[in-house]
Amino acid sequence: MNYFQLFGIEASFDVDIQQLSSSYQTLQKSVHPDKFVHASEQDQRIAVQKSAHINDAYQTLKNPLLRAEYILIERGIDMPNEQHTFGDTSFLMHQMELREMLEDVKSSGDVDAALLEVQNVLSSEYLQLSQMMRAQIIENTAASNSAACDNLRKLKFYQKLNIEVDRLEDSLFDD
Amino acid sequence: MALLQIAEPGQSTVPHEHRLAAGIDLGTTNSLIASVQSGDPRTLADEQGRDILPSVVSYQADNKVVGYAAQAFSIDDASNTITSAKRLIGRSLADIKSKYPSLPYQFCGDENHPEIMTRQGAVNPVQVAAEILKSLNHRAEATLGGELTGVVITVPAHFDDAQRQSTKDAAKIAGINVLRLLNEPTAAAVAYGLDSGQEGVIAVYDLGGGTFDISILRLNKGVFEVLATGGDSALGGDDFDVVLVDYIIAQAGLVRPLSPSLERQLMQKACFAKEQLTDHEYADITITLDNDQPWQQRISKAQFNELITGLVNKTLRACRRSLKDASITVDEVIEVVMVGGSTRVPLVRSEVEKHFNKKPLTSIDPDKVVAIGAAIQADILAGNKPDSDMLLLDVLPLSLGLETMGGLVEKVIARNTTIPVAKAQEFTTFKDGQTAMAVHVLQGERELVDDCRSLARFELRGIPAMTAGAAHIRVTFKVDADGLLSVSAMEKSSGVESSIEVKPSFGLDDSQISQMIKDSMSNAADDMQARMLKEQQVEAVRVIESVKAALVADSRLLNSEEILAIESTIKSLSDVSQGDDIKAIEQALKAISDSTDIFAERRMDSSISQALAGQAVDKI
Repeated sequence: MNYFQLFGIEASFDVDIQQLSSSYQTLQKSVHPDKFVHASEQDQRIAVQKSAHINDAYQTLKNPLLRAEYILIERGIDMPNEQHTFGDTSFLMHQMELREMLEDVKSSGDVDAALLEVQNVLSSEYLQLSQMMRAQIIENTAASNSAACDNLRKLKFYQKLNIEVDRLEDSLFDD
Repeated sequence: MALLQIAEPGQSTVPHEHRLAAGIDLGTTNSLIASVQSGDPRTLADEQGRDILPSVVSYQADNKVVGYAAQAFSIDDASNTITSAKRLIGRSLADIKSKYPSLPYQFCGDENHPEIMTRQGAVNPVQVAAEILKSLNHRAEATLGGELTGVVITVPAHFDDAQRQSTKDAAKIAGINVLRLLNEPTAAAVAYGLDSGQEGVIAVYDLGGGTFDISILRLNKGVFEVLATGGDSALGGDDFDVVLVDYIIAQAGLVRPLSPSLERQLMQKACFAKEQLTDHEYADITITLDNDQPWQQRISKAQFNELITGLVNKTLRACRRSLKDASITVDEVIEVVMVGGSTRVPLVRSEVEKHFNKKPLTSIDPDKVVAIGAAIQADILAGNKPDSDMLLLDVLPLSLGLETMGGLVEKVIARNTTIPVAKAQEFTTFKDGQTAMAVHVLQGERELVDDCRSLARFELRGIPAMTAGAAHIRVTFKVDADGLLSVSAMEKSSGVESSIEVKPSFGLDDSQISQMIKDSMSNAADDMQARMLKEQQVEAVRVIESVKAALVADSRLLNSEEILAIESTIKSLSDVSQGDDIKAIEQALKAISDSTDIFAERRMDSSISQALAGQAVDKI
């Protein structure tokens, strides 16, 4: 049973989050370990397993990047691992520029404005890429799936940058 | 008197008795116990009518004193009287010394298992917590008139694995059955949630004596889904006292180190002044110095606010971060719940109100709200409300990961992941012919090993010799509903699961715990034996009942052969469980568990598909 079947929802990139969340809660009400406190150790163990599985499935379908990755893997697309070299040099160059922009925030005259600027750039580029990926996943041809795969990897770069932004924000506050 | 309960027709085939259960708020400065009686959750008072039990244990010449009685010794006998032990459990000596440099204790034990030297010998902070739990348990049994089936103990949401494990160990030493460890903010949300019947996002701001938690939850039809949690395990109202003490020391021209009793006195006077400033514009501080000279000064609310502004702002930054983690904007928060005695401080209330742009809820006594929520959860987990729709979905507060080359941490499970959760990650060897691998489990958000909390180290041996990078070692992290971690590892290409030994970096191992249980009982060995036998017999009855009920309900999932096999294991278990052979009962339990493994899994799967089918019908 794949994750979509588990929650009884249509296998598509556009997930009705409300419906997903409602199915999720219904399922957890039947398997959560809290419902098995007085059951045998065996039932408790299985409840933990099932509950963990449902949690994992829910987290996967709820998060757009994880959902994209799951759909692509289900389609049999070979997902290159993260250490694998990335061919798109212009994209990598741009990532370096973004990182430099982020590093310059600390030394800028107006830190808040500089930080906001970085966040705005990141979120607009992220949005653009994710819309492209969505269209490619929906198209579902060999070429589009492979292109979606590339865009997914690019989006993960942005995700990492966003974590850097959070760290920077924390360190600025802690000073 | 406990009333017998009879199940509603069609709900349960077996009517069961009302089980006594309680919720315990094991606090840094104060602890409470509460229970649901006749549908009403309330805190239980001691013989003098006091709800609060100060979390203080004093080791006197021939006895241990807990609570108010212990507090009386805290100035004159500071080194034998342990306060705020919760801040010490699951922590290393270096941690403790850097965070609390002026504690009046003699530390002993090793770096990772610090103990406090008292006149009764070395005491582990876990044992101190156990004394407090024992005292509360005793109070509940006296009030409710019987033995408790189990308790729910609350912990700060951001407690790490070592601190959670230590809390559970304390209960074990105290001989208390823990139904669940529950995060304090979640408990508070339960206490309020069931009252208001609200649906939507709520924030719980929990500032206790020693810890700060912020949790963002979504309430929907009885389900409390924690979206994000954050906070600071070393920030609380006591820190307000600390800055005030520093201020007094500066004003009075005192120089550290001070005597333990003067330190204690300053803390008490600072705390008193802080409380005064809740309702008054000024507080007068009077100190008796070591030379018996009095010293006095007046402090205004404005001065106090200035001293603590930095600390309050720190809590608001954590709020902002948690909202972001939950992808929730301030405007979406429909309610802010205030928990913990330190939320009485006027500046805290006004700043939180400003931050969330709404008046925080304070209708339930902030000292009691956590215990009350825990009592509600305990009542449900004990099985007293079989038709309850309530479900708590909590999260892992801090990311879990493994050390990789170069002292970096590779995250395996990210914080704010809903628990229970299981995740596996693959690693490979670094050198040709490498046959063993040191696995170091860490918790925290930072990238470097040195900045994270070390939870455990173990070695995976017997990896077949291969070229570097050829072996595939799969490390699996499992976090249960209490938020407790277990780790296993196996080498995949050879298919051989290597045995592992997990040594907790902090806290106690099993043998230490059983020693402490023995120590805490008068007729050690016999009691242990008797207790184990009783536990096994109870387990046997429970298993037999549940398997029989399962057969009645779902025998359609089995063929006749499988049914016969299960029935025969039931018979053997039922035969041996009458006797006193612990080993034989254990074996029979194992046999019944093996014979029903597939059945149990099929039943669970069938209930999963039924759950959704039911939902589909609801929609039509």
